[in-house]
Amino acid sequence: MRKIAKTRIDDVLRALAPRYDLYVPVEGATTMRTPTATLWQEGLENASRFRLYEEGLPLYWRTNTGLSPKDLFFPQTEKMYTAISQGKTVEIKEESTNAWPIILFGVRSCDIASIDCMDRVFLQKGYEDTYYKNRRQRTLIFALGCSTHEDTCFCTSMGIDPKASPTADVQISDLGDAFGFTAQSPSGQQILASIDSLMSDAYTAQPVSPDPMLINVNLEGVTEKLETMFDHPLWDELSPRCIGCGTCTFLCPTCYCFDINHKSPTHAHIVKQRSWDSCMFVDYTCMAGGHNPRPSKTERVRNRFLDKLLYNRQRHGRVFCVGCGRCVSKCPVSLEIATVIQKIQAAEVTP
Amino acid sequence: MNENIIQVPDKSGISKIMREIAGDLLRQQTISLVIGWEKGILPNKSAPAFITQSQDAEKLIFDEYCYHNLTKYLLQRKGSGLKTAIFVKGCDSRSLVGLIQDNQIAREDICIIGISCPGLMEERNIVIPAKKCEICYTSVPVEYDFLIDCPETKTANDEPGGSYAHRELPRVENMTLDQRNIYWQKMFENCIRCYACRNTCPVCSCKECCFDQANPTWLGKGNSTSDNGFYHLVRAMHVAGRCVGCGECERVCPMNLPVMLLNNKLSLSIEELFDEPPASLSLDVTATLNHFKPDDPEEFM
Repeated sequence: MRKIAKTRIDDVLRALAPRYDLYVPVEGATTMRTPTATLWQEGLENASRFRLYEEGLPLYWRTNTGLSPKDLFFPQTEKMYTAISQGKTVEIKEESTNAWPIILFGVRSCDIASIDCMDRVFLQKGYEDTYYKNRRQRTLIFALGCSTHEDTCFCTSMGIDPKASPTADVQISDLGDAFGFTAQSPSGQQILASIDSLMSDAYTAQPVSPDPMLINVNLEGVTEKLETMFDHPLWDELSPRCIGCGTCTFLCPTCYCFDINHKSPTHAHIVKQRSWDSCMFVDYTCMAGGHNPRPSKTERVRNRFLDKLLYNRQRHGRVFCVGCGRCVSKCPVSLEIATVIQKIQAAEVTP
Repeated sequence: MNENIIQVPDKSGISKIMREIAGDLLRQQTISLVIGWEKGILPNKSAPAFITQSQDAEKLIFDEYCYHNLTKYLLQRKGSGLKTAIFVKGCDSRSLVGLIQDNQIAREDICIIGISCPGLMEERNIVIPAKKCEICYTSVPVEYDFLIDCPETKTANDEPGGSYAHRELPRVENMTLDQRNIYWQKMFENCIRCYACRNTCPVCSCKECCFDQANPTWLGKGNSTSDNGFYHLVRAMHVAGRCVGCGECERVCPMNLPVMLLNNKLSLSIEELFDEPPASLSLDVTATLNHFKPDDPEEFM
């Protein structure tokens, strides 16, 4: 392992920025509540997220970001193509692709697990999504091990190690006052070699371990139990609380549903785009004739949790929850997956 | 009404009385559902609770994290003819009055159990009062069948908008045009249009929202600064004159955007223009924009 003092991390970022699109975790400005702050300069208070590195951005190293990095591969609204009609012909213009390499710097183990989930959906089911693939295949991931956690984190319950992500190109470890870098892939090795002069040896350094997490859920047997719970009264009990907003699905790093729609800037010109959609929205399953197969919140809430814990395990081979805690933190009514797993475990089923 | 006011020695005693009242109501079988709060997965999390069995009334709690304005949930029972008991804080009680005035719920179908509110705390920083409490105009419920009266009741602001309006509004209003433009652009740019603000809003009571309509599509699913701005401005105008300042829209925003600022500004403008009290403080007073007088000012026409 090679290391660099935390105070000098900007040197590493400055060295990488000219060669890559470098995305780093940036704080949501939190100055809004202090009466003296001239907030328009600092931006509004919003969630921490990954942004393209610029010098002087307030970097956020404490825990995982408020918004997951999924929008870097799967933007909330993404242009697909433009169609322009001229007389009797229509010209289709594909969106141009880009080959410039990307580094995603400082991603937490939970979010790396979620990228694995997304890969399964967009790349590994027999059809490769070109839009996703274009960004994904030129991305190198620098994982950052956690030295602390939010109250809402529960990745350990989901079988994820907050300090290690073997699939990342480089693993960064929190050594207290320094960051330690370990290459885990040939490309990772190459990049680290190019910035090696900035770093010193850290043979004996031990990464700081986070305290035990406050939320512990038992995932064992949940998938199997859910197979028998489609008509269980639990869903009627849970669903009244849901307010049907898209917070959980939009913040969830493994939610991948989208809607294809278009904009018409002029009458002879449409832009086809896809945008995140949420299964918690009433219109998500609404069909052309007006029929809605998930007419009430009971069906929608049931679908979300069966999808996360059962259907995706059947379809993609893993549970689609990585314990990042974003829904726990942000669901307006605390109808989040950790509570639901506990309720599923406690539910009585008649054999 | 006085025999229905129950004094508690301090705020820690509120939960016990809640359980007693809810248990009694369910046992008498006049009420089939009690909507209150229960403890969530973490000490600083509380959550809405739906109690149908008297023995489950033990789950009910009240603490400084019971932010949720539960009154919107009554719309789920609309038209069912079933009686519901609901716990309300001062701010929530105003939205209940609004829903009754808008004929969304019938007064006789609900049993209102008011809690004179000792104030809430910020979930992430448990020593800071919740932001929604800054706009508190009435900590004692304005309408109730039972009232749990707590000596630690928070002092409400004597002006609508409260300290929030005094701090946030002037700051935005005093910006230059360019600064203000950037301010709103940034807000709309950061919105992820999860619709949490709309869905939690107790005065957003339409059965189908115009933003959910597919035919015609007033607003597509695409996220852009202008579309998001359109959403926020239309919503602000839709709730203008009915917003009760419960602060739920801003509390639920996952992006921490200053959602209630627009509503706050409109409420204050309406008050200034018409010189009438804020909306939904009493069942006997119709909200300003729901009635007209021949001498209403119309300089904005």
